[in-house]
This record gives sequence, C-alpha cells and structure tokens, in this order.
Amino acid sequence: MYLTDEEKQMLDGQAGELARQCMEILVTLGEINGAEKMLKIRSVHSPGVSYRVTGDAGLNYVVDASKLGTFRVPLTLNTIGIDADRWQQIGFPEEFSRKQLALLQAYAKMGAIPTCTCTPYLNGFAPLPGEHVAWGESSAIAYANSVLGARTNREGGPTALAAAVTGCVPAYGYHLAENRRADLCINVERNISSKRDFAVLGYYAGMTSGRRVPVFKGLPGCRSVENLKALSAAIATSGAVALFHIEGVTPDAVIGKADLKPKETVNFGETEYRQVTDKFNYQGDVDFVVIGCPHCSIGELQQLAALLEGKKVKADFWVCTSRMTKMLSDKMGFTEIIERAGARVVCDTCPVLCPTSSKGYKTILTNSAKLAHYAPGLWSVKTALIQTDQCISAALTGKWGGSK
Amino acid sequence: MSSKMLNGRSVVKGKVEAEALVTAEPLSFMGSVNPKTGYVIERGHELEGQCLKGRILVFPTAKGSTGGSYMLYDVVKNGVGPTGIINIEADPVVVIGAIVAKLPAVDQVDISQIKTGDRLVLDADAGTVEVVD
Repeated sequence: MYLTDEEKQMLDGQAGELARQCMEILVTLGEINGAEKMLKIRSVHSPGVSYRVTGDAGLNYVVDASKLGTFRVPLTLNTIGIDADRWQQIGFPEEFSRKQLALLQAYAKMGAIPTCTCTPYLNGFAPLPGEHVAWGESSAIAYANSVLGARTNREGGPTALAAAVTGCVPAYGYHLAENRRADLCINVERNISSKRDFAVLGYYAGMTSGRRVPVFKGLPGCRSVENLKALSAAIATSGAVALFHIEGVTPDAVIGKADLKPKETVNFGETEYRQVTDKFNYQGDVDFVVIGCPHCSIGELQQLAALLEGKKVKADFWVCTSRMTKMLSDKMGFTEIIERAGARVVCDTCPVLCPTSSKGYKTILTNSAKLAHYAPGLWSVKTALIQTDQCISAALTGKWGGSK
Repeated sequence: MSSKMLNGRSVVKGKVEAEALVTAEPLSFMGSVNPKTGYVIERGHELEGQCLKGRILVFPTAKGSTGGSYMLYDVVKNGVGPTGIINIEADPVVVIGAIVAKLPAVDQVDISQIKTGDRLVLDADAGTVEVVD
C-alpha cells in the first residue's frame, strides 16, 4: 500500500518504537483488506478499556505502550469496569478495581480523555458527517456511522490505540463510499415508538443483517437521540452491523449519495417483534433492574427521576450513565431523587463491563436489548426486555408479571 | 487415506495442526467466551459449553462487542484459547486480536466442508486448510 513519507518514517522506527509497532499493525490490517493508502483521522474512541475485557494480557499491552509514547489524536475512553469514584461504596472487588485503575492510569499517561462512557456523542464528542474516525464500542460505532454520518470501521482496542498513536487508519471498509450502500431493506410494518421498540427492531435487524448494511423504510414513531441509541446498541449486539440507514433521516440517506435500493427486502411486523421479545421474556420475582445500556442521557435521568420521585424500590436498581451526565444530574437534583427512592446512579461502568456481583442475582430486567442479550452468559441470570415504565413498576413491587 | 484441501485468504500468517471446533453461527469473544476458562458461555449458542483450548476455531464471522480483540488476546495468553482461526469473512475486531495474539488465521474458506473433530492443517502462509482424513 502507498505510504506518505511521514508514515514511512513511522514504519521505519524514526518516530520511535511505539509508532513503529502501531504502524506495523495498521499496515498489516491495510494489506489484509486491500487498502491503497492510509487516511488521517480526527478522533478515536477506544474500546477494551474495562479490565473485564482486557484481562492481564490487554492491561500489560497498554501499560507497555504507555512507557513508549503518547497519542497524537484525541482519544476518548469507553466504559470501564468500575465506578472510578465510588467503587468501594458500591462494592466492586478490590483487586479488580486496582487493576482497572492501573489501566486507566496507563491510558491517562498517553493523553487519553477519561470520558469512560459508551456514549461519547452525548457529551460533546461527536464527529461530523463524512469525517474519518477510528471508533470502537459497537453501539457507538453504529451510532457514529449511521446517525452522525461519520466514517469508521469496527475498531478493536489495539487498533484504536495504534490509530491514536499514528493519527491514521487504512482506507478500507466503511471509510469508502462504495461500502456504505444498503445491502438489505427492512420494511417496518409495525408501530415503533418506545425505546424498547427500537431495541427490539435493532436486535431483529442485527440478526437478519449479520455484517450487511440495512436500510429501514417506513420507520414511524419518535426518532429521538435516545431511541436511535437503543437501536444502535441492539443492532450491533445480535449482528456485526456498523452502519445502517433510515430513509429520510440519517445523513447518508438524506445528504449523502448512498445507494438505498438493495435487491433484498424483509418485513418487520408483529411476528418478527415477538421473535425477539420471546427470547428475553422472564417473569417472576425480580432482584435486579438496570436502565442505562447504553449510558443514560440527561433526558433519560430526568424521566427516571419523575417516575421514581417519592417511591421506594424493592429490587436492586442501577441507573448507568457517564460521569459528565451524572454531574448534570447531580446539579439538577435528579441523582438525589433517584437515590432517595433506593436506586443507584452508577457512572463509568455497566453490568456488561463490570465484574459480576457476589449478590447472586437470578434476574435482570432492562429496557436494553444489548444487556438482555449479554447478561445471561456474563451474569448467569434470566432477563426480560421491557419498557422503561415497566422496569420501574417491577422494581417497586419486586415482581414482574409479563407483558405483550 | 485421502485429504481435502480448502483454499482461502491469508489473514494472519503462521501454521498449525489441530482439531476443528466448528459453528455455523457468528461469535463474539466478548460476552460469548469466558477468558479464564476458554469455555463458550453465550446462552443458546451452538457452541455453548464447548472449550476453545487447543482447537482451531471455525466460524463464519464475528458479531457484537469490539471488546472482543483484547478478549481473544487474553484467552490465548491464558493458555485456554484457540490455536488458529478460520472464517468465511474476517471481522476487523477478530483480525486485530489474532494479530496481537499471533494466531494463524485465514478467511474466505468454505467452512461447510469442515466438521467439529476434523483434524486440520491450517497453513495461513499459503491461505490453505487441509482436512486430514
């Protein structure tokens, strides 16, 4: 592949050992994928920053890198494995927490921005349409490519690190316009309005699409940031979808030139909806309820505060968000209302990425398809994927009787 | 005695001989595999309860979390990971995990020709898979 003089110097080791190692990885990745050149990137969102994900192997990888150099492009950090301020109070294990903090410190040494969230786009880190970036976190990738119109591949932790050190990524995949055309049309025939509806639709679309690019047609209902966040998380859980289009809504579909007329069409109606909800349909006693996968927006915290005000939950209840959004929530009084009701506002982490609790939960109720999917394997629990207000009423009564 | 030779594309170079563990379903290392034990933990997955240790993992492509790269690296470093990877289409999350874990990998292989338990010679330098009879 073609390299500029600066890129060649990095590969030759003239810009230091870390840049050499990173450029070698990126050139390998480029050659595998037939890239003709490198692209300059404007931002990196790094996945694989929870110690639960990196293990000692990944921790040592980052610590070694931090001894050799720093980032030249802004790099934000994804969700980590603990609430960095309140880990002792919440009861995260000491050894895990120490290793997590060591990992954070290594990233900080390299110049990382410690956002510690899967929703950097809610906190001011949002690329422009057409901008080349190197993002990890499957839900944020789908959101950045689709809703924001930025261009990124599905970057794993070592690629994100290499991209931030060198400032470039190989030109292949979703960076190229020809790979952003729709492969599959999903014709939405059912009413879709709540966050859970968007999560169910996303989960079905991910199962059906696999690695392909779907375009949604006839998508009614409220297309809010929060709903598209739920859709992005779900579609990248059941599939490897990095990009979707919504006719008349998303940038590639509206201002871009993406070809949105695929040959294949599938319908999404009541049967398909049930196919997903039947998978996550636990009913019975409730011991753990979680909202905030992906991390809650300030609007979602406001809604939860309104639903919980003056009440008392019987089940353990986590509301997960970023440290930036929690600061707003503290200032606006939502955190106090939510915690007075017995729920807890947890920041920096979530049950997908934190260590499993020793409390021996048997169930997790949530409005997130991503959490409902991962929790059974990670936490050995049964899950229900239900509406936000249903999560609240189940937490208040300690029981969940099922829903349509 | 006859062997079957399958052609693919070299992704990460290297050569290994081992038993195949095959699934027709996409796999996510993060959330589907316990990195300490190497066992598949995703509920309802075709490979649930199977151990990756010492086997060549054959699956169509990856899905889900981008945490999978370090997870693959960690499971290999812990000595309970696969010894090679064969895909229909390699996902960047797995590719980068295989590069740092130095795991031979090929893709564009017709994996329907391979069954769990088959003895495989994976030559990722040449991009070939030999199913030893």
